[in-house]
Amino acid sequence: MAFEYEKYLRMDKIPHLWCPGCGIGVVLKAMLRSVENVGWEKNDIAFVSGIGCTSRAPGYIDCNTLHTTHGRALSFATGIKLAQPAKHVVIFSGDGDATAIGGNHFIHACRRNIDMTLVVVNNNTYGMTGGQHSPTTPIGYKASTTVYGNIDPTFDICLLAKAAGASYVARATVNKGKMLEKYITKGFEHKGFSVIVATANCHTQFGRKNKMSDPISVRKWIESREIPIEKARTMKAAELNDKIITGEFITHEEETTWWENYNHPIHEYTEAYQTIRDKAQERK
Amino acid sequence: MSEKINIPDHYSKWESDVKIGKKDDHVTIGYWRDGCKGCGICVDVCPKQVWELIEAKDKWNGQVVQVTDASKCIKCMLCEIHCPDFCIKIY
Ligand SMILES: Cc1ncc(C[n+]2csc(CCOP(=O)(O)OP(=O)(O)O)c2C)c(N)n1
Ligand code: SF4
Ligand code: SF4
Ligand code: SF4
Ligand SMILES: [Mg+2]
Repeated sequence: MAFEYEKYLRMDKIPHLWCPGCGIGVVLKAMLRSVENVGWEKNDIAFVSGIGCTSRAPGYIDCNTLHTTHGRALSFATGIKLAQPAKHVVIFSGDGDATAIGGNHFIHACRRNIDMTLVVVNNNTYGMTGGQHSPTTPIGYKASTTVYGNIDPTFDICLLAKAAGASYVARATVNKGKMLEKYITKGFEHKGFSVIVATANCHTQFGRKNKMSDPISVRKWIESREIPIEKARTMKAAELNDKIITGEFITHEEETTWWENYNHPIHEYTEAYQTIRDKAQERK
Repeated sequence: MSEKINIPDHYSKWESDVKIGKKDDHVTIGYWRDGCKGCGICVDVCPKQVWELIEAKDKWNGQVVQVTDASKCIKCMLCEIHCPDFCIKIY
């Protein structure tokens, strides 16, 4: 049965400003279906973003929304969550927003394991500002700042999040909208910091510079590099260069060994913060 | 046919009886032309070639989509889920 996105949108702002076929719309839709899946009331949600094409998303969503500064969405979101722990705080960031200018905020939000959900739309570029290379532009690919091809190795955002202490981490691509929905829903349900990476097409900036100027060729290029994590576990590291590993990287549903997860969360941050509040009250 | 069909008036509609596996069913496809940006993703993801691109002089890239034959639809929802622009409703 069709999904009634209208329920969650500011319809006077639709059609959105994203390019025809832009992957961000597909991720936003998966996110809205996830809100319905967990049954959150709109007024209990705070939807936060930084700056970038991806970060325009809050403008279209009919709930409490905050469009902040580039790279600092997680800092604003942390403030909201600590002041109002009952709110469901969701952050929408681009790869640049989350892992370049906001990289430090990103690893520390993971480290704190604060009960929020971060959706990173990874389109391998700075879409909004003209296609500069980002920490996820693959080696050899062109950007407006790497006209002879990029030589900087990339971050794997999922492995970075896991190593830094995020307690639910998953990745899916815009070719699999249902899978994105499943992981974002699980991220919402998870108590602790959840990171869902959505690999998406920016054909206008990234694609155009790499002989893929339409949405479908970038979607197919993404598809050709997708490897499920179960399969990746059996492959040699060198075979996985330039591949997109999809699936759940950490869930904490099962017990893990130190080697699988050397950063097991000791507590969730808003709960820990409450103990400090209580101590401060006692001293008064 | 118990589900409520909720397609706004400004949507174009196509309807057909369909067979899904061995089961008889009915499909209503809603499409919002004004919101459509002619990206062609619905055409690409549909496993049954239900959608096709057509010329549209009023659109910036000169194209929109239309339903060729609703009776081929298997209600997989792939087009609805992957349209980045909220233009398709499958009931
Ligand atoms: C402090 C600051 N530095 C730089 C910019 C310029 N700027 C705006 S968006 C952006 C990059 C966006 O890339 P990403 O976060 O990947 O989002 P996308 O547009 O690709 O969705 C930059 C560098 C800014 N707005 N503020
Ligand atoms: S520039 Fe890229 S990321 Fe921005 S709206 Fe266009 S396709 Fe999407
Ligand atoms: S629901 Fe599936 S079969 Fe029907 S038109 Fe959409 S993509 Fe094609
Ligand atoms: S996917 Fe949506 S916006 Fe793109 S052509 Fe189809 S209906 Fe139009
Ligand atoms: Mg980006």
